[in-house]
This record gives sequence, C-alpha cells and structure tokens, in this order.
Amino acid sequence: MSSIGTGYDLAASTFSPDGRIFQVEYAQKAVDNAGTMIAIRGKNGIVMVADKVISSKLYTDNANPRMFNVNDNVGVGVSGNYPDGFSLKNYAYGEAMKWLKDYREPMPVQNIANAVAEYIHIHTLGISRPFGAGAYFISWNKQTGGRLFLVEPSGLNYEYKAWAVGKHRQAAKAEIEKLKIDELDVQQLVKEAARIIMAVRDENKDKNVQIEMGWVGEHTDGKYEEVPSEVVTAAEEWATAKLDEDDMED
Amino acid sequence: MFRNQYDSDVTVWSPQGRLHQVEYAVEAMKQGSATVGIKSDTHAVIVALKRAQNELSSHQKKIYEIDVHAGVSIAGLLSDGRILARFLQTECSSWRWDYKQPVPIKKLAEAMQLKLQANTQYYGRRPFGVGILIAGYDKDGAHIIQTDPSAEVVSMHGTSIGARSQSARTYLERNVDKFEKCKTSCLISVFHLFILASPEELIVHALLALRDTLPAEENLSAQNTSIGIVGKDSPFSLLEDAQVSVHLNSVSTHPRTTAQAQGGGAEPMQM
Repeated sequence: MSSIGTGYDLAASTFSPDGRIFQVEYAQKAVDNAGTMIAIRGKNGIVMVADKVISSKLYTDNANPRMFNVNDNVGVGVSGNYPDGFSLKNYAYGEAMKWLKDYREPMPVQNIANAVAEYIHIHTLGISRPFGAGAYFISWNKQTGGRLFLVEPSGLNYEYKAWAVGKHRQAAKAEIEKLKIDELDVQQLVKEAARIIMAVRDENKDKNVQIEMGWVGEHTDGKYEEVPSEVVTAAEEWATAKLDEDDMED
Repeated sequence: MFRNQYDSDVTVWSPQGRLHQVEYAVEAMKQGSATVGIKSDTHAVIVALKRAQNELSSHQKKIYEIDVHAGVSIAGLLSDGRILARFLQTECSSWRWDYKQPVPIKKLAEAMQLKLQANTQYYGRRPFGVGILIAGYDKDGAHIIQTDPSAEVVSMHGTSIGARSQSARTYLERNVDKFEKCKTSCLISVFHLFILASPEELIVHALLALRDTLPAEENLSAQNTSIGIVGKDSPFSLLEDAQVSVHLNSVSTHPRTTAQAQGGGAEPMQM
C-alpha cells in the first residue's frame, strides 16, 4: 500500500487517485487481524466456529459470546472489533423484530443479510467510520436447505458454501477445500470444523484460546442454537486425537 | 509521544485496523484512582479509592446506586462516569416501568455497550473517558460487569480498573491459584474461594486487592474508601466513613502483600 500517508486515507469520504477507499480497507484489517472464524454448509445443516482469545482467567464462562440468535431460525456470528459486531447484531435483531411486526412471519436470512449489508454500506460513505466487523448469517429449512451469508465491512454481501475470516483465514480455507463438505452431516461438520480451527492456530502466539460454536440444521428443526458445550468438548478431543495422528504420519 | 496522523479523530481507522483515539480514551480510564469488584454466588461487592483535590475539599464520589439491585463504581473522568451512572439509573427505572420487574444485569450491560460503542464510531462525540464496574444481583445470581471506553463490556468473577489496577488483578488471580493448589480435585470452579465467601469475607478480599494499588506510603482510610454491596435478599447499600472503618479493621491485620519500601508488614490503618 504505497499510498499510506499521502492524505487520501484519512476519511471514508475520500477516494485515492487510483480509486480506492482506504478507510474501508483499514476497517477490513480489524477483521483480518481478529480471531479466525469459519462457517461450513454441509449435507443437512450449517456450523459456525469462532476461535476466541480469553485474555483473563477472571472472565466468567463464555463471556463475550460472538454468536447470537437474530430470530428463532437465523443465527449471526460476528468477527472483528467486538463492540462494533455487537452493534451490528443489535441492528439485525431490530430489523428482524420490525419484519415480524409488519409481516407476522420470521424474517428470512437473505433479507436480514441484505438489511445489515445496506446499513454497513451507509457507514462507508463517510459520515462516520466504517464498521470494523463482519457478520455471518446462517439458517436452514426443508425448502431452501442451508444458507450462509457473510457481510463485510465494505457492505459486500455474498452467499457461500463455506468461508473463513480472521487471522488464519487462508490456511483455514485451504483446509476446508480438502473436505467434501456436501457429503458431511452436522455431527461430522462439528468435528472437522474444530479440527480446522485447531490445526491453523499458531502454537506460539495463540494461547488461552477457546472455541465457540453455533449450528442450525435438520437436527435442530431449523432453529439456530449455540452448540452444547459437551458436544464442543467432544469435538475438540476428537480433533486433538486426529491432529496427533496426522503428526505421527508425517 | 504516541502521535501519528491517524490519531486525531475517533472516525479514523489506522492502516493496521486500530482506533487510536479510542485507545487514548482507555488511557484516561487508567489514570483514575482504582476500583475493585468481586462476586460470590450470592453477593457482589465493589470498592473504590476516592481522591480529594486538596486537604480542604471532600473526596470525589465514586460509587452510585442505580437501582435496588445494582450499583456502579467509576474509574477515570468522574464527570463522564456520572453521566453514565445517570444513564443506567434511567435504564433501570424505565425497565421497571415497562416490565414491572428489576432489569436483568445482562440487559443493563447490553444497553451500556451499545451506548459506549456509538461514541467510538460517530463523528462529533468523543468516547467516554471512563471505565465502570457494575455490581448487581438478579434471578441469575450475582454479577460483576466491567466496561471501558472502547466499549468492551465483559462479565467477570472479579476485576479491577484504574491506576495500578494490575496489582489488584494480580491479587485476585493469585488467591485463586493458592486455592487451586490446595484443592486440585475441585472441579466446580477455580473461583471457589470467592463463590463460597461470606459477604464480609468478600469485602475483605476486595479491600485487600484495592490496597495493593496504593503506593507504600499511602493506606486505605475511612475517608478515601467506599464500599458498595448487593446480594440475595439484601438491597444495594453504599458504605462510607464509619461503616467502612469496621471492614478496614479486619483488613489491617493482613500484612501488605507486595514488599514495601519501609519494612512492609502490618501497618496501622490511618483512620
């Protein structure tokens, strides 16, 4: 980025001479430097996994969760700057509530993702700073199957089969690509997702980390839920064993 | 000393994806006198160190009641803190009006986080230069919530913010470790010590942690210390002056933990 410090990167309302908006790129950095977060769509459901740093043992269990319900059917997972992400979650929740009031039915995941993307985009025009957070939105039902969206700090909103954001996103994406994700059921997804998160960790730097998971699928009857801690623990144990096994082979 | 061209406004991201103005606001919090909060299963305690401008003035108020079941203590710019305390008082009373129930502490924390976050994103307002500890008791038990100017709001077993608060946090963590060693089979929680503590013990732990933030020549006194406690079947109460002395007496029997310049040991409390 040779244009750093030339004065074209101090406001979201400023284009650089080569047509870039640096403030939005810098906001994306806040997501890129945060803990890895992946989401995978399998045969009969979707799993979201985040790697969280527990910076003090004085925290209570599951302090600062990154995954929430937007409504009964849709889950949101926020990555990047935590307070910004929380604010996005709050906006999504408010929009879903308005939809329910107006139409008397739950807001579909695509509409939620679009609404949030629009809101994020407004913040890239320069009145305030862009959000330093991104958000996954996931849902599953019999008619549409699983759907997974990611909204970025730029306001871009794409649907994915699987994706990774955060510190080790490249390595995580490479790992995901090795899997035949369309054939995996939710139980297998949970294990593989835990394995990927643990495999891409930097052993020297990533200390005091904890996995948080959320899922939705046929097994939850299309309701988004936080994955029970015993399932997460079992997945971590499986993943540790699997990683050790792989190390032995090398 | 920190200056760079990305630190003049809250609405500017640095190339590394950081918000310098927000980080500086956190520094303001770190300059305020310390406050400590810890909880057990049934009670939450906040203690705070008050400063006086000079010998003729009173000490600045640091702990506020915000409802029957909750109180806050403040570190940083106390005038910013007072605004936030008033905000929380309003949240508490409007929740009571809407639902005819005390507000759950979690909801209070969420409202607080959204308010703080807005001041880190929108042009024209600076972030609050203050950190707050919320102590409360609701249907889910006792809570200690820590907030800071960057809008990080987090639920804690025990914590401290303000000047030299690391010493207090060290005290809290160290006492956990001691306990872990003597009861390695204990699986319930590493915070067993505090979880089973009586309200009086809890206050003593909080005061000992607070005392560790003081330089050797200073000590806790009835004038510079405030205590707030809330718990099961006991509404929030703010202890000051004479009521504080009682608890300071039980603290004075404990020697100062950090090796102090003048011999350390059990110094008499200045009352």
